[in-house]
Amino acid sequence: MAWPPPPLFASLSNLLCLLSVLCLLITHLSTSFVLADSHFEGFEADDEDETLVSADPLQFSNLRSPPVSHSGTPPDITKITTPETDLPDSNPTPFPSPDKSATSVDPSKPASAGFDYWDEDEFEGLPVAEQQKQATEPSKDAKDGAVPQDSVAGQESIPIASPRKRSYAIEIVCISFLIMFAINYFTGKRENENIALAWAAKFAGRDSIFEKNFSLLGVGEGDDSPLLLKEGLNVFKFYASGRRYCQGLLATMELKSRHDLISRIYNMVVPCKDEISFEVYMNDDAMDNVIFAMAKKKAAKGMQKELRDLQRFAGLLSPPSGRKWVQEEMSVISESKEVAGDMITDAVLDQVFGEKSFENFGKGFISMHFSDQHPGPHNKMLLFKFALPDFNNMADMTRLVALIPYYIDFVGRYKLSPQVRSKTEAARAKAAQEAYRELQNARQEELQKRKAEKKKLMEDAEARLSAEALRKKEAKERARQMKKAMPRMKMTRGH
Amino acid sequence: MSQSSDPRQPSAARPFKPPAVLPQDLPVDYSGFIAVVFGVAGVMFRYKLSSWLAIIFSVQSFANMKNMENDLKQISMGMMFAIMGLVTNYFGPNRPAPQK
Repeated sequence: MAWPPPPLFASLSNLLCLLSVLCLLITHLSTSFVLADSHFEGFEADDEDETLVSADPLQFSNLRSPPVSHSGTPPDITKITTPETDLPDSNPTPFPSPDKSATSVDPSKPASAGFDYWDEDEFEGLPVAEQQKQATEPSKDAKDGAVPQDSVAGQESIPIASPRKRSYAIEIVCISFLIMFAINYFTGKRENENIALAWAAKFAGRDSIFEKNFSLLGVGEGDDSPLLLKEGLNVFKFYASGRRYCQGLLATMELKSRHDLISRIYNMVVPCKDEISFEVYMNDDAMDNVIFAMAKKKAAKGMQKELRDLQRFAGLLSPPSGRKWVQEEMSVISESKEVAGDMITDAVLDQVFGEKSFENFGKGFISMHFSDQHPGPHNKMLLFKFALPDFNNMADMTRLVALIPYYIDFVGRYKLSPQVRSKTEAARAKAAQEAYRELQNARQEELQKRKAEKKKLMEDAEARLSAEALRKKEAKERARQMKKAMPRMKMTRGH
Repeated sequence: MSQSSDPRQPSAARPFKPPAVLPQDLPVDYSGFIAVVFGVAGVMFRYKLSSWLAIIFSVQSFANMKNMENDLKQISMGMMFAIMGLVTNYFGPNRPAPQK
């Protein structure tokens, strides 16, 4: 079966790869970019802290006062301010090297504390001399500006501490989740293995049902081959072979993903069951035209719609009157009433599917599906699906498992009555014809496609060829024209 | 009559051969995909939580791995992105300065 999602998925992951390379490049570029800045930042932050510790806030806001108070030291300002405005940093920290200015200014002018303040963002781009003039002029302005300056400094000192504190929550949660995941992984794995082994010990061990019915048990070759094949942590397979009427039996246990904490949490919301499904591959000569399925009412409707053989050949049957029939909540899908009636024998009703016994023994039953038209490599198959009981109560499903050899023998011996067989054969012939026609159509289409392609190729080649010929012809023509246009000269001998 | 008493037929036994599964028929590994998405997002936006989620999902995908060679590629990709995101987050150049 060609499945569309995976190629799409692959292309998606390819795209992701590309994207990731791109983002790597970006991050690389940005890191180098930030690296250049970060030197400044790091120094600044350190210095800032020091000044914060050493100088009290009043003096701190004064750091920028030199232009006002000391009109004699303008070169200092330019030195301090200009490199800062050039910085590409997005959040310009206002104190490039406060140490220097603090030491130079503070002792001389401690009194002019909160007044004047140089906001270089405000006066960006102005010539230095003008800046000075403006700065000396409105001392009121400077006072206004001092407030946001302080607040900026305050904001800056806060995020140094806060993101670290906040981020620890994420780390703690994630790491504890990972630890829980790891613990759950080992315990869940053990649980699943225990369930699978309990099943195998109960039904495939010594003197068990499968031991008595099949000559070869287990997935390997030889006598002491392992009984179960582990496929993933929640899927176990059991194989048996060597019985009349059938080639083999494959049981697949699909347990809950107990090892996976996330699916475990998900299963709390959407509960699911441990399931076991049996596939019996019948011998080709041992199964008549039987199509029969049985499941709970809702599931049966789904099966009838989804499974191709049921959809094609069979329909839901209403329970017949005047006969013991299966439990009410079950419904039966079959090709004909006769087949259904024959498949549901009194013994089965008595053991599992009857009104009384179903309560006790049929709880784990999910579905049952016999078909001689199964799509896939094996056409004739019996499928059973049961829910697995608890690890301690494996015996609960004994009767359900006993259905399997019973039905292998029953279907293997079963022969349809002539009129029903002719009917079913007609239906199969029709289906086969249809399939054949479909195949023919597909093949024809393919052929036509190929033909068209070939034709196109030929045309292309022809076109190219003719183009070449045309060019040749044209060249010839041109040469002739040239020849014509040339002044005719007669070569004569001078003498 | 003996046939009906013992249904076993050793001569008909066939050893198990696992059906070959094509790599494109395998079920899609959603958690691995989610891990890669979160990992890339974590690296791109320098978002810590996303990188951590990527690690969690790649661990989940690792726990659910069935086919060794096939899944390992994607898982390792998701893991790598997650780790890269975390490294740039914690040891990256623009970390806040250590406090004194």
